[in-house]
Amino acid sequence: MPPPVRRKILVLVLALGAALALVAVAYGDNGGFTPPDAKSRNADRINDSYLWISIFAVAILVIVEGALVWFIIKYRRRGRPRNAEGPQVHGATRLELIWTAIPVLILGAVAAFIFYKLPGIQDIPSAKAQGGPLTIRVDAHQFYWQFTYPNGTISIDEMHAPVNRVVRVEIHSQDVDHSWWVPQLGGKFDAIPGKTNETWFQAEEVGSYKGKCGEFCGVLHAEMQARVVVQSKDAYDTWVQTEGPQNLGRGEWIGVCAKCHGLAGRGGYGPAIFNNGLLVQPDALRSLLLAGQNTSGGKDEYMPPVGLGWTDRQFRSLEQYLETAIYKGAAQNGG
Amino acid sequence: MAVRASVEPYRPDWRQGRVSSWITTVDHKRIGILYTVTALVFFAVAGIFALLMRAQLATPDQTFITKNSYNELFTIHGTAMIFLFIVPLWAGLANFLLPLMIGARDMAFPRLNALSYWLYLFGGITLFLSFLASGGASKSGWYGYPPLSENFFSPGNGQDLWILSLHLVAISSFIGAINFLCTIHNMRAPGMSWMRIPLFVWAVEIYAALLLIVMPVITVGLTFLLLDRQVGTHFFIPDEGGNAVLYQHLFWFFGHPEVYIIILPAMGVISEVIPVFSRKPIFGYKAIAFSTVAIGFYSMLVWAHHMFSVGLPNFLNIFFMLSSMVIAVPTGVKIFNWIATTWRGNLIFDTAMLWALGFIAVFTIGGLSGIFLAAFPVDWQVTDTYYVVAHMHYVLFGGAVFGVFAALFYWWPKMFGRMLDERLGKTQFWLVFLGFNLTFLPQHMLGLLGMPRRNYTYHEHGLIYAYNLISTIGAGIMALGLMLFLFNIIKTTRTGPRAVNDPWLGDTLEWYTTSPPPPHNFDRLPYITSARPLRDLRRRIEEVRA
Repeated sequence: MPPPVRRKILVLVLALGAALALVAVAYGDNGGFTPPDAKSRNADRINDSYLWISIFAVAILVIVEGALVWFIIKYRRRGRPRNAEGPQVHGATRLELIWTAIPVLILGAVAAFIFYKLPGIQDIPSAKAQGGPLTIRVDAHQFYWQFTYPNGTISIDEMHAPVNRVVRVEIHSQDVDHSWWVPQLGGKFDAIPGKTNETWFQAEEVGSYKGKCGEFCGVLHAEMQARVVVQSKDAYDTWVQTEGPQNLGRGEWIGVCAKCHGLAGRGGYGPAIFNNGLLVQPDALRSLLLAGQNTSGGKDEYMPPVGLGWTDRQFRSLEQYLETAIYKGAAQNGG
Repeated sequence: MAVRASVEPYRPDWRQGRVSSWITTVDHKRIGILYTVTALVFFAVAGIFALLMRAQLATPDQTFITKNSYNELFTIHGTAMIFLFIVPLWAGLANFLLPLMIGARDMAFPRLNALSYWLYLFGGITLFLSFLASGGASKSGWYGYPPLSENFFSPGNGQDLWILSLHLVAISSFIGAINFLCTIHNMRAPGMSWMRIPLFVWAVEIYAALLLIVMPVITVGLTFLLLDRQVGTHFFIPDEGGNAVLYQHLFWFFGHPEVYIIILPAMGVISEVIPVFSRKPIFGYKAIAFSTVAIGFYSMLVWAHHMFSVGLPNFLNIFFMLSSMVIAVPTGVKIFNWIATTWRGNLIFDTAMLWALGFIAVFTIGGLSGIFLAAFPVDWQVTDTYYVVAHMHYVLFGGAVFGVFAALFYWWPKMFGRMLDERLGKTQFWLVFLGFNLTFLPQHMLGLLGMPRRNYTYHEHGLIYAYNLISTIGAGIMALGLMLFLFNIIKTTRTGPRAVNDPWLGDTLEWYTTSPPPPHNFDRLPYITSARPLRDLRRRIEEVRA
């Protein structure tokens, strides 16, 4: 009996390892064995902590699984009678104390490293040379992210930030719990109604970094994605002064409305609205966006109060965009 | 025969039918079997839910099931696996085994015992019937965080039925726990001191004590939520002065001990199975017993490690990181002591032993990934991703469910008087072991690649797609293995070889009586002089013969 067992384990381990190695190599990535490439110091230090713990974790894994497999092979029955007993050892206090103490030391080493890295991960750099951190306010909504910049410019789902500048992210929620998470720029921080959280990043490279909502927030949780567009200082300034405000209406339509109603308003998860007269009745539209809809308790009659906390300018931008780009009028109803 | 009949309690005719005798039973063995079978049925249903989810996630942008259905599935999958499968399954096994292991006639409160089973059954039925509620079943995840689970964001009665079902199950667990504690404390056989009770009984003791402490807390949290939804209070509605984070504290003060409520009995099973199939005493009985107590104690001090991303004050994060790391120490002690038990043993690889060794192999991985999650800056990266899904399934499936199967293969002969088929059992083990690792190992990587949990789909191709596909294939293999167990039961129920009193040469008292045991459990009891009364007995018989 024992030899086939051993062979099975071997085949199993090899097959598993080979399969995983193959996929990882095939896509030439870190393979998901460490957190993604950090592009900000806080994320970088989290990765350091991850690697530090990995050293101990892998060592313990090898020792424990190694001992287990070794004993399984070495002390298998091998034709001995079933009732043949091993030595009746009831314990060994010194040995047990040793393997209680060693984990304590290892965990101490892990905790010490975390304490050493923690300030660099958590504390927002004062960035005096840059005139303090740039604060961007994040408002999480079902199912979009809204970003407010110091000059009042607002964007949806797409945060713009200057490269190499310390950005303080102030996280709010307007409805349910969400979690702000851009893996390459640091960890998750929940957006909880009635509570303000903050985190920071200092992007080292120009580029676009994907973010996702980390806390389950309802039916379209999976579509609640963010992008952080890191630009040169000049490009950022231009964007925040002119481009951002100009594109607000379109951004709102795409981020807030289209996820359910479709890019052309022809329906998706939610109903088609391109010919709904409500789109051109500002007051009625406003009250719908503020109150949401929750009529019969049925699955599909729910609409989140997406307009909670919106400024007048936000409503106007959306109304304008709806009127010019989306609303096709009752006349086209049949077509 | 006449003597035997006189010890049977009086039963009117209507309670002697095949069905009515089960419905009216207050016998701990029958209640244990009712619990076990019911829990396995819920396991199958919630497992099918998991397969549906894996099918949905096999490829990117899949539309196999709708968004809402997916959210219902993962909510009910989690709730059912935790509340309706694993905790009640341990209640079932503990019900069956506890009086036998300590040499008692029955549980302390037989009628209360029956009540707790029926409350559990109706709680479970309530949960699954909630799919028929207006708006379908609850869709806010197994921990149902408000404000998402509040009336406005989760309209319909699914969420209310979820709460009510958990209320029923919580009361069931609570009174069950009282029963276990009273039984262990008051009904042990002569000579069975605290250092001589089986380690599984130690585990049940702590299991029950934890249930007693934490079940009222979750019940309070859920009641507040129900009042918010139905009466117009605002415990958890921030706009009206409530606090959404309060619920998280109430939930996780229950939720983390719950993990140990689930895993400690499994560890107790492993501590019973490994020595018997190594033909050695457990290495360090006291260390294992006291580590069980220590884990139980620390489990109540670690809850906020589920809330590191909430933005708690720094000193709390640090406290909960350290306490979560401390709890790894007694867990490590157990693992090292089990491995030491196999040292120089005569290892017999019957199916129960395979599950027990498999438990050590995979639970270690779950324990180690837990250290990453305890270090809160790392947790900020990996929490609420598939990394957590992988971690908790390594602990709860690789740990608890492997323990469940070790227990079922070990004690099945005692419960039903028939041996399960070893060949089928071993095939099942290898299929599940392979499928389990294929399913959950890649999920660690998915999490590190940035895939959040509870997403009904993903748009990325490449590596994320590959790992998801492997995971789904693994789930299929695992399902195949689990189906073999059903086949095994069907095959052996009528035709399997009959079990003798002590088929495995066990150490503990339950092997002293017949398989299955008579209603009164024992005709007489040996005086207990050690933690291994049956081995003592065998040796005495040998000495007399020699």
